[in-house]
Amino acid sequence: MLDTFVWWRGIALMIALLCGLSLVLPLPFMNEVVIFTIYVVGCNFMIGRLGYISFGQPAYLAIGAYSTAFYLFYFGSNPLVGILVGVLGGLIGSLLIGPFFVRLRSDYFAMVNLALAVVVFYLTEKVLVSITQGDNGLWFMTQMTSTPVLDLTIPSQFLAFGIIVTFFVFAFYKYLDGTIYGACCLATKLNEDKLQFIGYSNFSIRFLGFVIANTTTALAGAMYAVYLGFVSPEMGSPSRAAEPIIVTLLGGVGTLFGPVVGAIAYTGMKDVISNMIGNWELFIGFLLVFIMLVADRGIWGTLEPILARVVFPKSRNTDK
Amino acid sequence: MIDTQLLISGVIFGLSLGSIYFLLAIGLSLCFGLMRIISLDQLLYYSFGAYMAYTVGLATGSFWFGVAAGTVVAGLISFIVERLIFRRIYERDPTFSMITSFGLLIGGIGVIKFFWGVVPRPVEVPTVIQVDVFGTAVPVYRLIVIGFAIVVYVGIWLFLHRTIVGKAIRAAIENVEHVEGLGINVSRLFTITFVIAGALSGLAGGLHAPLIMVDPMMGLETMAFVFMIVIIGGLGSIKGTLISALIVGQVVSVGSIIYAPMAQMAPFVMMLLVLLVRPTGLYGSPLYKR
Repeated sequence: MLDTFVWWRGIALMIALLCGLSLVLPLPFMNEVVIFTIYVVGCNFMIGRLGYISFGQPAYLAIGAYSTAFYLFYFGSNPLVGILVGVLGGLIGSLLIGPFFVRLRSDYFAMVNLALAVVVFYLTEKVLVSITQGDNGLWFMTQMTSTPVLDLTIPSQFLAFGIIVTFFVFAFYKYLDGTIYGACCLATKLNEDKLQFIGYSNFSIRFLGFVIANTTTALAGAMYAVYLGFVSPEMGSPSRAAEPIIVTLLGGVGTLFGPVVGAIAYTGMKDVISNMIGNWELFIGFLLVFIMLVADRGIWGTLEPILARVVFPKSRNTDK
Repeated sequence: MIDTQLLISGVIFGLSLGSIYFLLAIGLSLCFGLMRIISLDQLLYYSFGAYMAYTVGLATGSFWFGVAAGTVVAGLISFIVERLIFRRIYERDPTFSMITSFGLLIGGIGVIKFFWGVVPRPVEVPTVIQVDVFGTAVPVYRLIVIGFAIVVYVGIWLFLHRTIVGKAIRAAIENVEHVEGLGINVSRLFTITFVIAGALSGLAGGLHAPLIMVDPMMGLETMAFVFMIVIIGGLGSIKGTLISALIVGQVVSVGSIIYAPMAQMAPFVMMLLVLLVRPTGLYGSPLYKR
């Protein structure tokens, strides 16, 4: 009984934090934060658990978003089914791409992934112009019908839905961390030879991790599509490839709640700074360099040990 | 069937494109081979080279002055960047340097937007003369670009095989500790290599400028092709880089005669096939940790 309480405590706190923030902060900001959090969770898992730095996250985001958009634009009108289609699209996409990619060393993996992001961007912008409508994007805001209980077409109810999804995503990833599979993931990052010696297959562990992480990213893409009511190639632009990595680093690599903290900090900075100076790239690029050189443990990575000592003297749930 | 004239001009076009890609990819490849860093900021020096070719070319009236200025400026910037930033991260994982250099690339795009704005700039082709190659009129400028790549390849080969610094660099690619043990200043070798790579990227940018529009995002657009070339050829191999640059140039150029949209995708499919057979590329070495 107590164990169950301890297990859920962190997640419940995080959800409470998100709910509390949505009372004070503007709605579009919170929606952005929630979707971004889900977006970054996949990237965080890849870096922190598998040791793969993926510059191709926009590609998987775009796959999810466009799967949803195709369904909502051409076939149906139910946003919930649309999100499901998006997740399915991401699942199929990563199942197809995965076997090629996870055999690679981590440096090749990063480069191939970035190339994938550029190729997906090309596909959506130029090659498949007849069905994606190129730079004009697909607009389906008015085509979505309202859903029962939580109406996804209304931003405030979408936020509630988003927080619920975030809850399940975090519960899933926390569960994953505690299983043997989670331990294997960490082991494949730290010492793949030893893991192989014990009798596990590095390939299947990485492949499963790759599929899980990228399906989560596709889920974020699908939610973006439903929330914004349109998709355009800009969403998967390779120039935004650094975003999930910056947020992961900002939050703290491999920590469970890093993505939330990073997403709040990053979205906040983006709002404030792009209002002050128009040149967003200049700032974000040098911020990335700065983080890499000076503070590579991130906000949550620094805070967590302190919090753990002050707030919960008994829990030693840190992985660093 | 494709007619011969179209095919010949396509092949020449592909060779010149491959030459520019080669100049760019060789920097990435050398940096990885020696320092074990993935230096995405080469694409930034490429953009700077192109912008210098535009600005200096316009100011002095001579395009070649612009290219020279671009090469020098790119070399200078890469020197500063190496001293200030890369020096601190050589010890870390290669992917670590990739994130840092991607930050530099994005930040550099911001700097370019600050100075030159977002409007694409045209650069005039220095010579519009055409020569006759097997009955097809070919612009001389493309042949000049190919000539540059040949000179650079021969120059790099001579540098690496005939000079003492080049020999030290080749030895350090094999085993950096042993070279350091011989009393050779490895950190100077790193700087030299990085500056050469940066200058070559600047040269590539300057040479590419008249063939495309110069805009802030040009580095990101070329990046995918340079990556594919480096991966197909194998990280750290100069010969592999040359061969795959020529192949990719031809695939893009001749492929676009057959069916244009697919030509952009073909190198990617090629890369996947190569990786399926050889996960380290055509000439990449299987050893990883040093």
